[in-house]
Amino acid sequence: MNEWIGLFALTLLMVTVALSFWRLRLGPSLPDRVVALDLLTTVGIAVTAVYAMIMNQPLIMDVATVLALISFLGTIAFAYYVDLMK
Amino acid sequence: METFIQVGVITAVLIGTFFSFVGVLGYFRLPDVYTKLHASGKVGVFGVVLLLVATIITSLNNFSAGRGLILILLLLITGPVTSHAISSAAYRLGIRMAKSVRDDLAEKTR
Repeated sequence: MNEWIGLFALTLLMVTVALSFWRLRLGPSLPDRVVALDLLTTVGIAVTAVYAMIMNQPLIMDVATVLALISFLGTIAFAYYVDLMK
Repeated sequence: METFIQVGVITAVLIGTFFSFVGVLGYFRLPDVYTKLHASGKVGVFGVVLLLVATIITSLNNFSAGRGLILILLLLITGPVTSHAISSAAYRLGIRMAKSVRDDLAEKTR
């Protein structure tokens, strides 16, 4: 049962990844694209969590933790360098 | 007990997927960086956290729910910080709001 509900969630999450990539291509300004990349890593964390649930393999959650840390550092670095640029 | 766990997992996954999809749809449709940040914050707080709650519920019997709890704590701390940082950087870059009723920061930074 967990497999089917997880596959449903993964299908909808892949649709959201496609929408985010399309918007990353369209996005008119630089912060739009940064928000798109942040959203992509957030959906990546969600995909990793659902995959760990399907496979019943909790070690995969470490990958999600590392992804969250790297995404946070990247976004804060963007804001810091914009602050230096002005 | 098994039935309660199944119902909890299915409910958490459905609500989390719904919030993720609606958040990305709002990110796709809204006109502005600031409103887009409002929509994408929903994905980071409700969507991912509820999917992680589902993962924690399924892994309760093999003593590894702590990873999910640490990740939920991390997401709840870093989500508002990144949203604030991006919106502040966008304001400093000079990006206008789509429909601005009032702008208190413009008088303050002048």
